[in-house]
Amino acid sequence: MQLILIWLLVTLVCYGGVIVTAALMTLAERKVSAAMQYRYGPNRVGPFGLFQPLADGLKFMFKEEVVPTGANRLMFRLAPVLTALPAMLSIAVIPFAGEIGTYEGNAVMGSIANPEIGILYVLAVSGIGIYGAILGGWASNSKYALLGGLRASAQMISYELSLILAVLAVVAMTGSLNLHEIVAGQQGWLGWNVFSQPLAFLLFLICAYAETNRHPFDFAECEPELVAGFHTEYSSMKFAMFFIGEYTAMVVMACLVTTLFFGGYLVPFWTDAPWWIGLIAFCFKTSFFLLLFIWVRWTLPRFRYDQLMHLGWKVLFPLALVNIFLTGAFISLFGSGGN
Amino acid sequence: MVVVARKELSFWERLYLPAVVKGLRITMAKMFAPRFTRQYPEEPIPMTETTRGQPRLAVNEDDTIRCVSCGLCEAACPAYAITIDGHETDRLIEREPEQFEIDMLRCILCGFCEEACPKHAIYMSQELELADFSRQALVYDLEKLKRPVSALQERIDYVNKINDRWQTSSST
Repeated sequence: MQLILIWLLVTLVCYGGVIVTAALMTLAERKVSAAMQYRYGPNRVGPFGLFQPLADGLKFMFKEEVVPTGANRLMFRLAPVLTALPAMLSIAVIPFAGEIGTYEGNAVMGSIANPEIGILYVLAVSGIGIYGAILGGWASNSKYALLGGLRASAQMISYELSLILAVLAVVAMTGSLNLHEIVAGQQGWLGWNVFSQPLAFLLFLICAYAETNRHPFDFAECEPELVAGFHTEYSSMKFAMFFIGEYTAMVVMACLVTTLFFGGYLVPFWTDAPWWIGLIAFCFKTSFFLLLFIWVRWTLPRFRYDQLMHLGWKVLFPLALVNIFLTGAFISLFGSGGN
Repeated sequence: MVVVARKELSFWERLYLPAVVKGLRITMAKMFAPRFTRQYPEEPIPMTETTRGQPRLAVNEDDTIRCVSCGLCEAACPAYAITIDGHETDRLIEREPEQFEIDMLRCILCGFCEEACPKHAIYMSQELELADFSRQALVYDLEKLKRPVSALQERIDYVNKINDRWQTSSST
């Protein structure tokens, strides 16, 4: 009984934290972009505009829902859910902190679930996310939305491959799919995977941007060409669901980069730090990557579509293959682990 | 036909990453640059002495209105924004407005009423903000238009200065 309560509490805190972060990201996005363009950004709702996401959410709820004629109603309604849900599901295995304590001999870890196949689960679940974009684009009965959905799917296929291969190199280094063990494998001086796998980190980062449909890879939306891409026809809360999904996916990706390459909740040079210090370290590292998401968006222009395909198949994919080959060769020659 | 030879990119340039980092550095530097935006209601628009705001009626220190409802401003108004009704009074000036309405939605802030007024009764104030919930509310009546002379002093001084200039040039 108590175990269930503890588990419920951890779930609530983890989900709440990520969702609130995702909501705040919409504000941060506008604030940071404004600052980069000599503006202030939203600062009227609450102190520093902090309640802006709340106001936006309320506004979305009171907006009219429009379903275009000829749209496939079931798919049209399903698509936003399919975008938001996988992103939220993958929160379940993110290791936010180390061992919080023990309960009846069982260690309570700082994540909702701690399956042996953690990273595999994240990749599998976030792979479903693309169905939202495709279905949304197709069910809208609109040319622009369909093109957006098509582009999203093509992009996702090209980049998910390199993403998984980049992760595979890390997994090979650690010898485990469990996210907590991957974090634990990064102890010590220069133990972070980013030092032993810089290429994999770069590949993962680039593919993470493509995976979350962020600039410079936001072809699914692509405002100047496709109006708004796959969510052109969406309005009201369904539109908001797409955004919740996108931003949650962003937070999850930032968490993953931190976990896989930057030592997760480990604090450098302090091996036996208490779990809450680890949590703060995790939040700190993740925040940096969240900022990087926004930062890159307001720096780089969008790729051309053929350039995107070129980059995905002719550059990133071979690089990922070379990387995994080198990693494999290194491990078989010098024994496992880079430590 | 002009053939422009494209510069071959070096390996370093083809990597793009150095250029990306350079771009990131620029945007981050801009984040801490001073901002252009004026936080409008808190930071009001700077006024010069020539600023022509909405017309207002000057009220003397002894609470008597300067206007004698002669109707010249009404006639001068190119936008037909002014409506005046006057009545007799036992004061020295004999007449005063009973009803004086300016439709602020029609007013184009041209300042002709100010020029036309023989009694220095109407002045373009520095008030520029105009917002309400209905059109009717923006038809300002006498009570809304009255301003003590002290509030309009800046404009009165400026108008006097301009008028003085014309007078000296014509007399010489």
